[in-house]
Amino acid sequence: MSTATARFDSGVNAAPRPMSAEEKKVIFASSLGTIFEWYDFYLFGVMAAIIGANFFTALPPATRDIFTLLAFAAGFAVRPLGALVFGRLGDLVGRKYTFLVTILIMGFSTFLVTFLPSYSSWGIAAPIVLIALRLLQGLALGGEYGGAATYVAEHAPHGKRGAYTSWIQTTATVGLMLALMVILATRTTLGEKDFADWGWRIPYAFSGVLLVISVWIRLQLSESPAFEKMKSEGKTSKAPLSESFGQWKNGKVVLLALLGLTAGQAVVWYTGQFYSLFFLTAFLKVDPATANILIAVSLILGTPFFIIFGSLSDKIGRKPIIMAGCAIAALTFFPLFNALTTYANPKLQAAIHKSPITVVSPAADCNLILNLTGTKVFTSACDLSRVFLSNSGVNYDKVDGPAGSVATVKVGEKSVVGYDAKSPTAKDDKVRFEKEVREVLTAAGYPAKADPIPALSSNWIMIVLILTLMVIYVTMVYGPIAAMLVEMFPTRIRYTSMSLPYHIGNGWFGGFLPAISFSIVAAQGNIYSGLWYPIIIAGMTFVIGMLFVKETKDIDIYAED
Amino acid sequence: MWKIAVGFLVFAALALWMLSKGGDIDMGGEKHDVSPPAVEKAPEKTPEKAPGK
Repeated sequence: MSTATARFDSGVNAAPRPMSAEEKKVIFASSLGTIFEWYDFYLFGVMAAIIGANFFTALPPATRDIFTLLAFAAGFAVRPLGALVFGRLGDLVGRKYTFLVTILIMGFSTFLVTFLPSYSSWGIAAPIVLIALRLLQGLALGGEYGGAATYVAEHAPHGKRGAYTSWIQTTATVGLMLALMVILATRTTLGEKDFADWGWRIPYAFSGVLLVISVWIRLQLSESPAFEKMKSEGKTSKAPLSESFGQWKNGKVVLLALLGLTAGQAVVWYTGQFYSLFFLTAFLKVDPATANILIAVSLILGTPFFIIFGSLSDKIGRKPIIMAGCAIAALTFFPLFNALTTYANPKLQAAIHKSPITVVSPAADCNLILNLTGTKVFTSACDLSRVFLSNSGVNYDKVDGPAGSVATVKVGEKSVVGYDAKSPTAKDDKVRFEKEVREVLTAAGYPAKADPIPALSSNWIMIVLILTLMVIYVTMVYGPIAAMLVEMFPTRIRYTSMSLPYHIGNGWFGGFLPAISFSIVAAQGNIYSGLWYPIIIAGMTFVIGMLFVKETKDIDIYAED
Repeated sequence: MWKIAVGFLVFAALALWMLSKGGDIDMGGEKHDVSPPAVEKAPEKTPEKAPGK
């Protein structure tokens, strides 16, 4: 198909037709490469404990904190930076070559970890190189999504962009599942010891295979017809960054894309997929292996809905589906998480109602428990008591005590005096405090662990249904969003303009969710109060989106070319 | 489409089977704290860390 014909066929007046072989190849190649990028990026998260033991354990705490900050930067600072760097490149030299570069950077920076000596062999050079590779991964990921979404959308016929780009939306979930499968297969085959010693490198080596496949497939692709035409006419942007963000006309659309779309989409996604897992294991004390299965089943059941809602958005519009997803999620998160407690740990729910807990402490002793970067430590008796109770999955009220007193945990008639981590006897005090609190909690009916949840039991089925419903919310907000972001910006600055709000929305609003939600839980003493963060952000997106974001499904994305 | 559906079902079944065999794995997505759990339990390190991203 010639460029001109392709462009013409993609126009507003094109008649409906089935997906062509070329379009299938475009979607397959783009999605596969993005799956592999997510695979590479998630390896670090899934194997964080083993990587930490091999590269960071021997470092002094202060040095380790610096590396934690750098690893943190890879997710939150470098991803948006990658969106700018590669977005600009994509708008200047083309989509095809740019997302070929992103996959090469991601693939090589992952594959090289296979051969990276650990701290015991290389000393401080090992974690430095590892973090440098991690930063490169963040950079590449920042450029990948916008490229894949733009590339697929610019190949899709008018009226099919939602359906076509929805395949890109499945890639984060499939990439995570692929990473889990490769790691589990390696670990099961080698055994725990060999896997911890050297076998963890195999999933990194496997990324080399994925790199070769994805580069080979992407090399077969041709440039986006819309970009090629614009380039041949000399209409490409000379300065995509200043055009995207330096001019209010487009800058306000970027801001609306962030606050009116991706922020809410991100918190609904992270709550449904990641915070629900954290809630099950950390607060409800469900056995991690059981929780993993529950989440995996719900993800598998929910994944086809990415395509369903992406396709539906071509018919009824992107905005109604995304806004409905945000609104329904905000309205139902509290009852759904309450229902999770009912079915996953009913004894805990009964104990919360029967035996209230109080932390009595001087107000000056209680600080904001917010650990965004993972490097902050808490030392006061009030903070330590609240963190311990929150981690134990119990609700509590905080009552101001007399100045100079030590924070005390009260369960019914029993009291346990807290401890200060700066005290010379802190180590013994901690052991004593945690043991005594556990004993009084047990005596008051708080279970140390949730009862086993047999597969396919009524409680198991109910939990899967609740989790699947939350994954369906994710698919409502995430399935149509690539098409909508693409349609909000003209071809000349599309890659740059859509990449930044996506990565700030997901990296910041979504990525900060665990730390902010836990902080609210610890401050409020209520295991459900962390849901206020996603509810407020999703609510904000709903209001801003309804008021200011325009429907885009009927927009001719080539109108301004 | 049916090929994709079958491929996805096979992928899903394989994933569930593997998780059921050795499901104790971190599915929490991105991680940024480089301290392994063993470090937090080290004797000299008594202060608590709340979850961070």
